[in-house]
Amino acid sequence: MKSQQKKYMIEISQKEIEELRNSVKATSRKVMAENIARMKKTSKNRPKAMEYFDEVADLFGKREKEIQAAKESGKKVIGYMCLFAPIEMILAADAIPVRVNSGWYDTSKLGDRIVPVEVCPVIRSTIGAKMIGLSPYLELSDALISVLTCDGMTKLGEILSDYKPVWAMPIPRVKDSPQSLRFWRDGLLTVKGQIEALTGNKITRKKLKSAIEKTQRATKAFRRLQDLRKGNPVIMGRDAMLVNQTYMWDDITRWTEKTEALCDELEEKVRRKEWACSLDAPRVMVTGTPMIWPDNWKLPTLVEEGKPQGVLVADELCSSERLLYDPVGVDEWTMDDMLDAIGERYLMASTCPCFTSKDGNVDRINWILNKIKEWNVQGVIYYVVRGCMSYAMEYTRIKKVLDGINIPVYYLDTEYTREDVGQMKTRVEAFLEMLTARIDI
Amino acid sequence: MVIEILGEALKLMVLAGLTIAGILTILIWKKGLATRVTYLRFVIQAAALAAFFYIFTYPIWLLIMLIVILVIPIAFGRFFCGWLCPFGLYMDLITVARKALKIRHRDLPDRLNKFLHNLRYVLLLVFLLLPVVLLLMDPLPSVQLGIVLAEVLGGPFKPMNILLGPIIPLIVPWAGPLVIGDVNFSYPYVQDIIGYTSGIYATIFPLIFVALTVIGSFMIRRVWCRFCPTGASLAVVNRFKGFKWAPALHLDKDEEKCTKCGICKRVCSVQVTDVYEQKGGKIDTSMCMLCLRCVEMCPYEGCLKLKIGGKTIFESRNWLKPSDSD
Ligand code: SF4
Ligand code: SF4
Ligand code: SF4
Ligand code: SF4
Repeated sequence: MKSQQKKYMIEISQKEIEELRNSVKATSRKVMAENIARMKKTSKNRPKAMEYFDEVADLFGKREKEIQAAKESGKKVIGYMCLFAPIEMILAADAIPVRVNSGWYDTSKLGDRIVPVEVCPVIRSTIGAKMIGLSPYLELSDALISVLTCDGMTKLGEILSDYKPVWAMPIPRVKDSPQSLRFWRDGLLTVKGQIEALTGNKITRKKLKSAIEKTQRATKAFRRLQDLRKGNPVIMGRDAMLVNQTYMWDDITRWTEKTEALCDELEEKVRRKEWACSLDAPRVMVTGTPMIWPDNWKLPTLVEEGKPQGVLVADELCSSERLLYDPVGVDEWTMDDMLDAIGERYLMASTCPCFTSKDGNVDRINWILNKIKEWNVQGVIYYVVRGCMSYAMEYTRIKKVLDGINIPVYYLDTEYTREDVGQMKTRVEAFLEMLTARIDI
Repeated sequence: MVIEILGEALKLMVLAGLTIAGILTILIWKKGLATRVTYLRFVIQAAALAAFFYIFTYPIWLLIMLIVILVIPIAFGRFFCGWLCPFGLYMDLITVARKALKIRHRDLPDRLNKFLHNLRYVLLLVFLLLPVVLLLMDPLPSVQLGIVLAEVLGGPFKPMNILLGPIIPLIVPWAGPLVIGDVNFSYPYVQDIIGYTSGIYATIFPLIFVALTVIGSFMIRRVWCRFCPTGASLAVVNRFKGFKWAPALHLDKDEEKCTKCGICKRVCSVQVTDVYEQKGGKIDTSMCMLCLRCVEMCPYEGCLKLKIGGKTIFESRNWLKPSDSD
């Protein structure tokens, strides 16, 4: 795309880009180090196995170099924004999947130069990150899969196509109809072709099978970790969320091994009754807009460092528990059945609010109710960033349902900024206070 | 002589049944959670096949069988179809062969499938009424109950045989339509078809039927079950009001745990959509044969359950986990 006119991107001098990148990167390094230091401090008995995840959490560290090296040896890197991208196909073509949504606060201001501030900050921040070439994974991607979920994501793909090949995957807004599934499956086939063309590797039945088995193993470890959070808190929510999130860029096989090791350690802790925090801490669940490392870590931090302290035992976020909870369920190991299974796993099992059905997004409600019961949740924080329409609009219905089962829910809206932390702290602590009072009664 | 043949055939049959059962038992323990029920089902099907062979040597048992087949569903639904029916086993084995060849099955359009399902009731009615109609057209000299019953059940048109059709073992203890060496071979319904036809047709029609069902079930899982009047008869009671409690053995879904992931719909060999579509609670359908494949494949713990009365016998698990025995 050398000579082509940029559709959206504005001209910025190389010098400015560099200056901005260096300063944002420096801040980001500080933020990451600080977040990890605080997580270590909050968590009594923090598992040793977390050290590995602290290390891969460094966005400008080991994993960047690894991917760089893999790329030099001829591997392709395929980025994606929403978790609907078929990871199994990317793996089957021997490419590296990385999720490239941005959690940097500072770059969202840069994004304002291209899209208005009303737009969801996840989108603005990703645009900003691209403007200054900040995100190593976005920079290393050879192509991007853009799933046309919410409006922001749809346009984000378009904007990023100024830099890289972007494969748009249209997604039906109604899940439970045979037409939707056919439509989605056709889309998957198209992307399969694109992945094969880019990598030069054919996705054969055998390769796809072993890719599916690989992600199934990852799901197994992932679910084991989430299941461990059902009982007394043996791991702080932030630590678990970090583990979940590193799946988005780490090597999947290694991630699986490390997560299993973490679970072994946690099980041992359960046996020895070494809990991560006081058993009186209210058990909180967050649902809403994805929260992305490293900057957008303020809500989990406020909850788990709050006075009184809360503990995040579950979440319903596409940046965390929704990433990998649902396995690809293959009935017969034929190509067609695997494709159907992949298609269904991403489309049908998803509770993303971009969907509706005869009964609205009832799947999300059911799933939240199930989580509340299974994970013994005492209060829900409904987290929305300004501009995230689909989550904001579903709140009313979810509140009604939760009121019905007498579970307090708190609507917390914020921005990609550090400025409101003080004010948020007051709000979050008031909520935790209220939960503690309820538990005492 | 006949006794000898019989003995030979019996031995072969039982041997085959037990071999299958043995191999599969080993497989069950080797395979992960996601296929365990399926293999267990094969073992029971194979054992049932051997049992049916014995039963066929005693005509009186046959009659009892028929009654049992017709009565069991009131309490146990179509458990027979999923776990015992020999024809079902043959079709399942063809499916195993197809899987081994890595060929995908085809699905019938849902509407056609539902239409066929309803058509079976009509077929059943026709089969049951035909002898009565024949009787009316050609009245018997006496209307004594015994004679009428004998004519209806044992006359030229035997509805009982049609209902027993799927249970015919591949090797039969009587003079079957195909004899190789000392062994009599048969196939579901073939003897009935021969009974209604004559001359060259008595050879052609059975062959066509066998070919159609073999090829058909290679392409479409459990193809005959979509037409089978026996299967329909098994389900007929729970169509009526007042029988809502029946069958006591049924599937049950936890609405909150179901993410509508669609797996249960895809894995069902007779394309039951109700498990997926119904909101929660007791799954109310006469299409389901309780094979439990969907329960086995649903990836959320306790989402799908097999219940009898109010008790859970088996429920869906996180089949990614290694099982306890491994
Ligand atoms: S909530 Fe849905 S649309 Fe938004 S990032 Fe997650 S998966 Fe994509
Ligand atoms: S429907 Fe008929 S052929 Fe199928 S399993 Fe039931 S009885 Fe056997
Ligand atoms: S397999 Fe289970 S979770 Fe998936 S749609 Fe069926 S019942 Fe629901
Ligand atoms: S609905 Fe489930 S139990 Fe019933 S026939 Fe289908 S797969 Fe078997």
